[in-house]
Amino acid sequence: MMFTEYAWLIPIIPLVAFLVIGFFGHRTPEGGGYIAVGAAGLAFVLSALVAYEVLTGRVTAPYVDQVLWLQISQGITLDFGLYLDNLAVLMMVFASLISTLIFIYSIGYMHDEGEKKRRYYTKVSLFLTAMLGLVMASNFLQMFIFWEIVGLCSYLLIGFWGFKHPKGEKASAAAASAAKKAFLVTRMGDVALLAGLFVLLNEFGTLNYAELFSAATLAAADSSAVALGSVLIFGGVIGKSAQFPLHDWLPDAMEGPTTVSALIHAATMVKAGVYLTARSFPLFVQSADVMLFVAIIGGVTAFYAATMALNNMNIKRVLAYSTLSQLGFMILALGAGGYVVATGVAGGVDVSGAKAFGYTAGVFHMMNHAFFKALLFLGAGSVIHAVGSEDMRQMGGLRKRMGITSITMLIGTLSIAGIPVFAGFWSKDFVLESVLVVAESSEPAAMIFLLLYLLALATAFMTAFYMFRLWFMTFCGEEGEASKHCHGESPPVMSYPLIALSVFAALSGFAILFGFNTTMTFQYVAGEFVVGGGGYAMLDVLEKIFTSPYAYLAIVIALLGIYAAYRMYYVRDLDPGRFNRDGQSALYQLLQRRYYFPQFYDGIALKMAYPAAMAVEEVDRKAVDGSVDGIANSLTGGSQMLRRIQTGFLQTYAAFVVGGVVVLIALIYIIGWITGGA
Amino acid sequence: MIPIEMFLGLSAVLFAVGAYGVLTKKNGLVVLMCIEMMLNAANINFIAFAAFFNDVAGQVFVIMAISVAAAEVAVGIAILLNLYKTSGTTDLEEINILRW
Repeated sequence: MMFTEYAWLIPIIPLVAFLVIGFFGHRTPEGGGYIAVGAAGLAFVLSALVAYEVLTGRVTAPYVDQVLWLQISQGITLDFGLYLDNLAVLMMVFASLISTLIFIYSIGYMHDEGEKKRRYYTKVSLFLTAMLGLVMASNFLQMFIFWEIVGLCSYLLIGFWGFKHPKGEKASAAAASAAKKAFLVTRMGDVALLAGLFVLLNEFGTLNYAELFSAATLAAADSSAVALGSVLIFGGVIGKSAQFPLHDWLPDAMEGPTTVSALIHAATMVKAGVYLTARSFPLFVQSADVMLFVAIIGGVTAFYAATMALNNMNIKRVLAYSTLSQLGFMILALGAGGYVVATGVAGGVDVSGAKAFGYTAGVFHMMNHAFFKALLFLGAGSVIHAVGSEDMRQMGGLRKRMGITSITMLIGTLSIAGIPVFAGFWSKDFVLESVLVVAESSEPAAMIFLLLYLLALATAFMTAFYMFRLWFMTFCGEEGEASKHCHGESPPVMSYPLIALSVFAALSGFAILFGFNTTMTFQYVAGEFVVGGGGYAMLDVLEKIFTSPYAYLAIVIALLGIYAAYRMYYVRDLDPGRFNRDGQSALYQLLQRRYYFPQFYDGIALKMAYPAAMAVEEVDRKAVDGSVDGIANSLTGGSQMLRRIQTGFLQTYAAFVVGGVVVLIALIYIIGWITGGA
Repeated sequence: MIPIEMFLGLSAVLFAVGAYGVLTKKNGLVVLMCIEMMLNAANINFIAFAAFFNDVAGQVFVIMAISVAAAEVAVGIAILLNLYKTSGTTDLEEINILRW
């Protein structure tokens, strides 16, 4: 028996949990929390079994199983089914694993929410269903449907406290507004994505991955249509993965519960964009310019978001900016790797996974980041749960009170900072290396990639700095105001998931030595696109990393960042106020105000969109409603006048009858006189 | 012998007076009386033609019509009486509860 044949059950399990919790959750302990955990766990086990079969080649990848869903004229058909390759099973495994751990953690974190727990577990179960459906989909349309459902879940969960926030009216208004913002901003990207799908459907008559990703089909297609479709699809990625310039919703999304931030806005949903880029690689690599665009967006986002994390005082916001920055890293790596493949495709050269390991680097960083960022968010949630504040200035000295949280968070911090052996080191080094490969080549865009490499190095420095700043401010030094409220370590139901995630955050990097290097690759060989195969052997990876001076440069830069944070926030002999005139400098304010992006959005919304909406409303009210109302009013007005005829007096009616008879008789006489008869 | 035109003329005048009364009078009782007048104008026509054509069927019809009219007046006056009891008036313009 092959478990892969039952892969369709994987999204069904959380779907059943969604329905059961939705209807009966309030009758079960913890508002259905255990059901959600059980369903996620089951989905994980099945995903792991399927992944084992796919990755070991027991099932030929891609495993495609689809049924006809819709048939539209002109031979356009839309299918519904599964497309399982190495990338999909990887996403399934880590999405369900992290969901399971976060659901367990939620039982502790959401314990005090009372009635609202059922709503929470219903939504997260639906989210897991949609996320699994998204990665397993066999075509772009099916993917898009689930893509929208995860967006809906994101909206619902950000606004979880939109009705009644434990911290009062203002916080609940902020949550509701953040939810709307997330929904609307990502919608802008989704419109582009949908347009991209239309372009592809128009060009190919199908949206099935299996048919689209054939090199022969793509070569026969109009290359400008494919490039246009790719760019539009990447527009959806920019929205969902919060890339510049649609990044601004993600920091605001932190208004939701911390578990939601960990699950949706760090580990899984925002990865959907990265996944889609990796999934659409065969389309994207048709044009080197598209890939260059992808890389530039990624590099700019990585740098730009990291700067905003430098001086933020909110522990969750720092992590949010960090997420943005790391997502930029993944997109940058995919863009760099894709650029190599794209030039190979254009030149008719075979490109093996080893040459284009930006794909490997991006996907690898996506997995590692899911682990360490989920860990960091859950650690932050544990701290917030204990001290009741998100302001790092009020924390400090928590190391003694919260042993497990501080150590697990230190592991996450070391990992994201890129200290050797920890997961983040491997993938970050791979990302940098993949950009450097293009920068050192003789490609026309080499200069741009060199610039992106420098941006990425600067980002690595800032990442190490702000993450250790966060850790020192929270766990070391004097006890802050809020720290005094701390009632010790979080319960085991919260700390065990932290420990489990910290193991992954520390060790998942070794995957690159044991299998990841050859399975998560993208190749263009003998005129076909292949996921998996090729890539570096284990020893080559080690040799490449530890003999390259650039790898040591990255380590030194990370250590410098940590040292700067150590001096400023641990020893405190270097006052950070010296660099920003105590928070008065223009740069500091610029970062605090997020480069004035929210104002920019508001400006667009208020100055341009609002008058336009008013004008449309005016037209609607005056012209459309006016004509409809006009017809109705003229009818009622006319009948108001006509009803005066009906006086209700019998005598009036009788008068009409008599008058009518007189007129008739007169007519008969007149007609008789005219016709000359009697 | 009186020519038939005289009878027809009398009948027409009687009918017109009756119709005028029905259309203009406000008192319900007067309206009822005017209706009787129009009915009798028709009866005169019947009698006149019966005599003119030497046919008694017209006279029979008139006796029939008079008896029906008697019953009709009884009903009409009963309605008027009840109206007077409930609304305190026989003025047709005052009786307008079913009017818009």
